[in-house]
Amino acid sequence: MSTQQQQPEEPQSQEAPEDPEMRGAESPVDEKEKQGGDIDQQTTPEDELEGETVHIKVFRYDPEVEGKQEPRFDDFHVPFEKGMTVLDAVMYARDTYDSSLTFRHSCRQAVCGSDAFFVNGKQRLGCKTQIADLEQPIRIEPLPHQEVVKDLVVDMDHFYDQMHTVEPYFQDEDTPNPADLEEQRQSPENREKIKMSSRCIWCGACMSSCNIAAGDNDYLGPAAINKAYKFAMDDREGEEIKEHRLRILEQEHGVWRCQTQFSCTEVCPKDIPLTEHIQELKREAVKKNLKFW
Amino acid sequence: MTETSADDRRPAENARRESAAAADIGGVANRIGRTNRSASSDGLEYDVVTTPVLVVGAGAAGARVAIGLAESGLEPLVIGKRDHGDAHTTWAAGGINAALGSLDDEDDWTIHAADTLNEGHHLNDSEAVELTAREMPERIRELEEWGMSFDRTDDGAINQRYFGAQSYRRTCFVGDRTGEAMLETLIGRARDLEIPYRENVMVTRLLSDGRRVFGAAGFDMETGRGLLFRSNHVVLAAGGFAALYDRHSSRDDENNGDAQALALEAGARLMDLEFVQFHPTGMVGERYGEEWDGRLVTEAVRGEGGRLYNAENERFMERYSPDQMELDARDVVARAIGREIEAGRGTKNGGVYLDISHRDADYVRERLPRMVERFASLGVDITAEPIEVAPTAHYTMGGVDIDFRTGETGVDGLYAVGEAVAGVHGANRLGGNSLAETVAIGKLVGEHVATAVDGSDAEPAVTDEQRALAEREFRALESLAAADGEVTPTILLEELRELLWDHAGILRDEAGLRTGLEELEALRDRTGDLRVEGGLTSRSFEFAVDLSVSLTVAEAMLRTALARTESRGAHHRTDYPETDPDWRVNLLVSADEGGLAIDRRGVAEPSDPVREALAEGYELDYHHLE
Repeated sequence: MSTQQQQPEEPQSQEAPEDPEMRGAESPVDEKEKQGGDIDQQTTPEDELEGETVHIKVFRYDPEVEGKQEPRFDDFHVPFEKGMTVLDAVMYARDTYDSSLTFRHSCRQAVCGSDAFFVNGKQRLGCKTQIADLEQPIRIEPLPHQEVVKDLVVDMDHFYDQMHTVEPYFQDEDTPNPADLEEQRQSPENREKIKMSSRCIWCGACMSSCNIAAGDNDYLGPAAINKAYKFAMDDREGEEIKEHRLRILEQEHGVWRCQTQFSCTEVCPKDIPLTEHIQELKREAVKKNLKFW
Repeated sequence: MTETSADDRRPAENARRESAAAADIGGVANRIGRTNRSASSDGLEYDVVTTPVLVVGAGAAGARVAIGLAESGLEPLVIGKRDHGDAHTTWAAGGINAALGSLDDEDDWTIHAADTLNEGHHLNDSEAVELTAREMPERIRELEEWGMSFDRTDDGAINQRYFGAQSYRRTCFVGDRTGEAMLETLIGRARDLEIPYRENVMVTRLLSDGRRVFGAAGFDMETGRGLLFRSNHVVLAAGGFAALYDRHSSRDDENNGDAQALALEAGARLMDLEFVQFHPTGMVGERYGEEWDGRLVTEAVRGEGGRLYNAENERFMERYSPDQMELDARDVVARAIGREIEAGRGTKNGGVYLDISHRDADYVRERLPRMVERFASLGVDITAEPIEVAPTAHYTMGGVDIDFRTGETGVDGLYAVGEAVAGVHGANRLGGNSLAETVAIGKLVGEHVATAVDGSDAEPAVTDEQRALAEREFRALESLAAADGEVTPTILLEELRELLWDHAGILRDEAGLRTGLEELEALRDRTGDLRVEGGLTSRSFEFAVDLSVSLTVAEAMLRTALARTESRGAHHRTDYPETDPDWRVNLLVSADEGGLAIDRRGVAEPSDPVREALAEGYELDYHHLE
């Protein structure tokens, strides 16, 4: 399914026309540069929040329910608790005020990658973002550049399709019978090299933040390229397979599309140096294509 | 109670099962009270899905079974409640055991088996233990071949760390995110084999006549449509039931006992339900926020040298276990912490301190990245300061009674694997053995089921009777979704969790367990007054279904805990504090129209090589490490 080609729909679903405050959401990059890092500038210390309520504005949209087809923001006031995350806050709102409020979540500890939202103008994981670090009212929206299914739920099919394009599984020319398997050696250095790339949790924050992906629906995107990096740089896969991987990556909508804006690296909740990995793969692709004699 | 021996595990005829089928004991309608729900509903609209093998659950166990099936040329269907790759396995942190001997070359599988039996207080199914211990080195090499990025020693071998109550460094790991890395690897392999996966599906009853299964009924959690899965082979890989406790390290909406309730109702037996592992180190909600209460602090913190102190700055394990200290068995450390807190030597937040700040900060960051990251997000730097911990319900040793060579449950066509089953761990589980069991046994089960499938299983026809049974379930689901009483499922689930924590927790006695059973009945009565908000696709409805299975499993757990009048491993009865050799038997639970029945069964002895290893008396010497 193509989601980004349906861009015209996106402004409709990302803006709340009746609320001028929401305009900032149109330009996430500017917003982010203003804020810098994961902590908003004007926040209240956690101690002072104790016993207070937190004001969240949550994006709402339900194409199937009469009267909810027009996107809007709902305001909720949630009692603050120490350590409260954005996910805790929307869960409280759902469980206490409106059971129809819909969003994905599961593990609550930044492992499953299902609760990436657009929070105060930046892609963040709901469960990893402390309320105390955010400026209020906190705007919580679905990930930009993806079709909204309902409320905070976006269609992830396109993201998954791109992940599949890079064949995200270990490959070996000839795997022996299990009984004949011998432990392969891997140097600590090589393991260290791919360690960060293996932390990806498929949350889609990077893809959502990427201007190139927004304009080129076929661009593999940072997550898929990073996934390919994990395998291509692992010495345990053979040279032939590495070349096969590089061929996938150097196609028209592959690594060369990246313009090193670092948006993906900035939003990655697992601190993966995505842009560096993409650059390194560009160098690998060049090396492969240089023929010496 | 009737007695059987270990040899008498698969009686060909079982009168109870036949009567069970006749009485129709399964499904949501029979688990909870029914008032104010209309009987005239037409039931959900539903789809019929046929598959040669249905695998229920997509964690490590389900994935490994599916890989075994696919490698044998079959195309199973894997279903799960969550997205692909988001199973509970990802929460397993510290590692996976295999006697590779990377660092301690004296280690071998017989010592792994002996450590497992000792930790399980010799209630384990010795065949299960030996299969796991013997298969594991090969399974690790296989995971490694599939690209799992294990930590490495300086010379490139797979690194291994100490874990509680293990004689040697045997636990392979990927930082402290081993389960996550392992599931990613298995799912990568499953993708490579193009194994179909359907997410957001919840199964609420197995289609069974008490002697054989022919599929499962459930619903799509996103659309609310009914689903009739028609298959002659169903593998339950849906986890355990530790989330039934107030303080627990599972997600609230998983590990609710689905697998156990479904199997019991289909005619299978459950075993060892009284053994629930309380992990010594769960986060303390008073200190870190309620959302974090009970979440696991991996054993690897102690494996890497973490020390426990009470509020008086006393390293109290010196009193409870001077030789093995913090790395004694989980039940020993959990009870020690419980007693310190009880004696008033806990922190003001109700925990004790776990401290690894004496280790080099870079080392801690390298070995325990997820812990460092999590506590940093809470404003705590574990490389510099202690954290507050207290015991938490972590793992259920009990589950479906199976034959470990095949996964068979005694009900034709029904198999089970992973935390869903009982046997490998006995009365207490060795850390690092749960991930091991999923792949070691999962492979065997997958390969066995593949041999059991024949041509006629490819697209089995749906009979009118099977349709009728499923439609009955769909009507029950629809009327449950419309329940408009006064009490929400969340409230009842919370009360159930508190009840079990109070009466079937770390310390148990007869009076408490009886009170627990009475309160459970009162709670069950109140399910007649349930209110579900938001219909079939709501969380409220999901919790109502969770509640139904949880009540069934909670009752079986309380009854077996009451029946076992001794203390052994994780089951500690203050009124019977000693281990009684006569109680070296497993308790088996089966269901009929009259309710639950409990039988005893003797335990088989291990093989000669493992007996020799047991006789050698291997043991971890903690002070060795310092």
